[in-house]
Amino acid sequence: MPLLEVKNVVKRFGGLMALNGVSFAVEHGEVHGLIGPNGAGKSTLFKNIAGFYTPTAGDIVFDGHSIVGHSPHSIAARGIVRTFQETTLFQELTVFDNVFIGCHLQARSNIFAAILGSDRARQAQARQRTEEVMAFMGLDERREQLAAQLPLGSQRALAMAIALASSPKLLLMDEPFAGMNPEETNHMMALTRKVVESGTTIVLVEHDMKAVMGLCDQLTVLNFGSLLSQGKPEQVRQDPQVIEAYLGGSA
Amino acid sequence: MRGGGQMPGCRRAAIAEAGVFVLELFLQSIINSLVQGGFFALWAVGLVLVFGVMGVVNFAHGELVMVGAYSVWLLHAEWGTPYLVSLVCAVLLVMMIGFGMERYLFRPKREDALGGLINSIGVLFILQVVAHVIGGTGPAKQVAPPLPGTLVIDGILRLPYQRLFALSISVAALLLLFYFLTRTRLGWALRAVALDREASALQGININRISMIAIGVSGAMAGLAGALMAPMTNITPHMGHNVIITSFIVTIVGGIGSLSGAVLAAFLYAFMHTFVTVYVDGTVATMCGLLIMVVVLIIKPTGIMGQRVSE
Amino acid sequence: MRQTSKRQILGILALLAGLMVLPHFLQFHHQDFMIFLGINILVVVSYRLMTLTGEWSLIHVVMMGVGAYASALLAKEAGLSFWLAMPAAGIFTALVAALLCFPLFRMTQFYFLIGSFAVGEAIRLAWIYFVNPFGGSSGISGIPIPELFGIDFFNPISYFYLVLAVVSLSLLILYRIENSRVGLTLHAVHWKAPLAESVGVDTWKYRSLAFIVASLFVGIAGSLKVHYLGTVTPHQFGVGIMVFVLIWVILGGYNSFFGPVIGAVVLSILDESLREFEDIRPAIYGVLLIAGIMFMPKGLESVAPNLAGWLRQRRTTTDNRGS
Repeated sequence: MPLLEVKNVVKRFGGLMALNGVSFAVEHGEVHGLIGPNGAGKSTLFKNIAGFYTPTAGDIVFDGHSIVGHSPHSIAARGIVRTFQETTLFQELTVFDNVFIGCHLQARSNIFAAILGSDRARQAQARQRTEEVMAFMGLDERREQLAAQLPLGSQRALAMAIALASSPKLLLMDEPFAGMNPEETNHMMALTRKVVESGTTIVLVEHDMKAVMGLCDQLTVLNFGSLLSQGKPEQVRQDPQVIEAYLGGSA
Repeated sequence: MRGGGQMPGCRRAAIAEAGVFVLELFLQSIINSLVQGGFFALWAVGLVLVFGVMGVVNFAHGELVMVGAYSVWLLHAEWGTPYLVSLVCAVLLVMMIGFGMERYLFRPKREDALGGLINSIGVLFILQVVAHVIGGTGPAKQVAPPLPGTLVIDGILRLPYQRLFALSISVAALLLLFYFLTRTRLGWALRAVALDREASALQGININRISMIAIGVSGAMAGLAGALMAPMTNITPHMGHNVIITSFIVTIVGGIGSLSGAVLAAFLYAFMHTFVTVYVDGTVATMCGLLIMVVVLIIKPTGIMGQRVSE
Repeated sequence: MRQTSKRQILGILALLAGLMVLPHFLQFHHQDFMIFLGINILVVVSYRLMTLTGEWSLIHVVMMGVGAYASALLAKEAGLSFWLAMPAAGIFTALVAALLCFPLFRMTQFYFLIGSFAVGEAIRLAWIYFVNPFGGSSGISGIPIPELFGIDFFNPISYFYLVLAVVSLSLLILYRIENSRVGLTLHAVHWKAPLAESVGVDTWKYRSLAFIVASLFVGIAGSLKVHYLGTVTPHQFGVGIMVFVLIWVILGGYNSFFGPVIGAVVLSILDESLREFEDIRPAIYGVLLIAGIMFMPKGLESVAPNLAGWLRQRRTTTDNRGS
């Protein structure tokens, strides 16, 4: 059974049809790419999966359960975490605190425990997890730095670290390679491979074709809110419809 | 009212008289609602203009109305200036205060909504004290209606000329405002800025000038309302409190971005409030208004006519 | 949880000791002032908890009134002793706040501000309209003074110690909350709610939590106030007071735990010294407010960097986080 099934999802905003019956499936351990020209509906689809929007019609099934209509935080509790376009971090906090917040699902305590300090053990566990994730993403040397002060590559790594802290089953990555130079891209690709190898399934929205072709096992192509093509990267890149709509004959 | 008399004829007359009284009260309430609606509309429109164009909640808006009323009291009741002259002076004075607020308090805080709001609270305090100092303590000020006399219709409907005058001027001002906003270039510019300030600036619209105009109009409406209200109400330094509460309720219910919504809501609210006050209690009326506002905020925050969902 | 250094603990103990000795050197009038200052500090620090999530409400002072009326009715009508009435009032206020979460937290930012104002005003009008049991415009008087082993709480010094004890304990609890994981999560909700949501934070729950806890403590403050005054009226909790609280928090600075305290202390002392100018005092406040916002937008706490740095607890070594 696929980990994630998007079934005929429709999303309408007033008169605007943002998603017009999109379907695809993501298998465990896969890296699934979601590509398409600007405005194709990729981010909208992400927001629907992660619970920030509710589909107008259709279903989204994760791990055997329908998650349509659930709130973002309960979807996160089920194991789907997303990163955001335009690096979203807790800018005024340190790297450590950023990732520490990411451990929320495992480490949250109620207010009485917080006052009395009886959640000490759980917080210690969370600290340990934070250390692990920071080391995994190569951020442990920057732990005291404020998020706002990090270079771009580290910021993206931090965004991933926050998302990974809760050990999600499925990671939704929204244009993580945007604005990166080739060196940063390579580094990010290596990090992403590391994450996949550790067992996390990834759905990736991205424009950077090098990253997409280099990382993805399967691709879904959207155009104007509809499914245009689907399949392995080699197949899709040769699909004339896709070339016409998007790749422009290159890549 | 005569109570139950001994003779059937008397009782019938008493009931008839009671019936007329009820009808009179009802009709009178309608008239009062209309007059109140005019005022509420003037108040609300001023608040919406400033919020829409300048993005700031002017907490001192009620005090601007109060200044209008005080000006008329001072100029007309105390110093004997003709009423119409006092009215014009009141409007101009409040406009000037508005200009000052925009230039020195709101413009520097354009990016900081909370800062602008705090500044307006500062002005609120200052204006209340100024009114206190000028008017002195003691009972509320009263202004004798410059247009005494009442038009009586059918023996049941009493239309005091002063109230008719106030209603006509209110409606005229609102119509003028709508004409200005929909048929003049400047009005269109104002609406453009309210819709999207950045885009308007990129189109070459001078935001500073438009803000001045917005607050000028807002102040004019407030000052006018105060001046028109002066002969009909108790003038105290704290009368602005009621103005701001009513303006909030009307603005929210009507739709935060919408002027026509505000006007519609103003009249609806005036009717509700007047009738509830007459038949139940004034405090209950305001409580109802507040609760309606909360319900609107929960169910449809954009109000009756608003479409833009705010941040 | 920040490891409070030995230096800070000693400093606070010294401060407390000084405060305990101080009233004996003051005139009655100033002892009175110290009592209200203590109560206002609790009001302002509890308000700050709410602002941590980025929500500025205008209902806080009305919640103080809810606690005040609850305490008054419990003590006077139900005959409860102050020592039960006060915590009960706090809990009652928290319950009312919990109920209000449902309508109020459907709105954010600007709408929340106006909505909280409306609900607060409606509650205040209810106190005025429902003469039974709230006593209408004149409120409730004859609220009993606390009793304990024959200590005379009419003596301001004794009442001051009571306030000192309750407020210190409350501040301690609030401080611990802020520096715990819960506090960190509240900050996260403020800065980037969607990001917090994406890692499983129920932002609605945390906003509500901040509001409920803030209301609990301000309800206790309300109880302290009216048991000293002996009377509770709707006018004690009007918009004017709410504005003062806003002024204290904004001018004091809300970036640190003690910023609002500084604001409350400095401005209350200023307020006292302006007592002779009773009539124009609001205008002076108005001018100060404008001057403060224009020239010190980050509040007083930013002007006293040494003191604030010593007291400020936000950006610190993270090793102690969560312990």
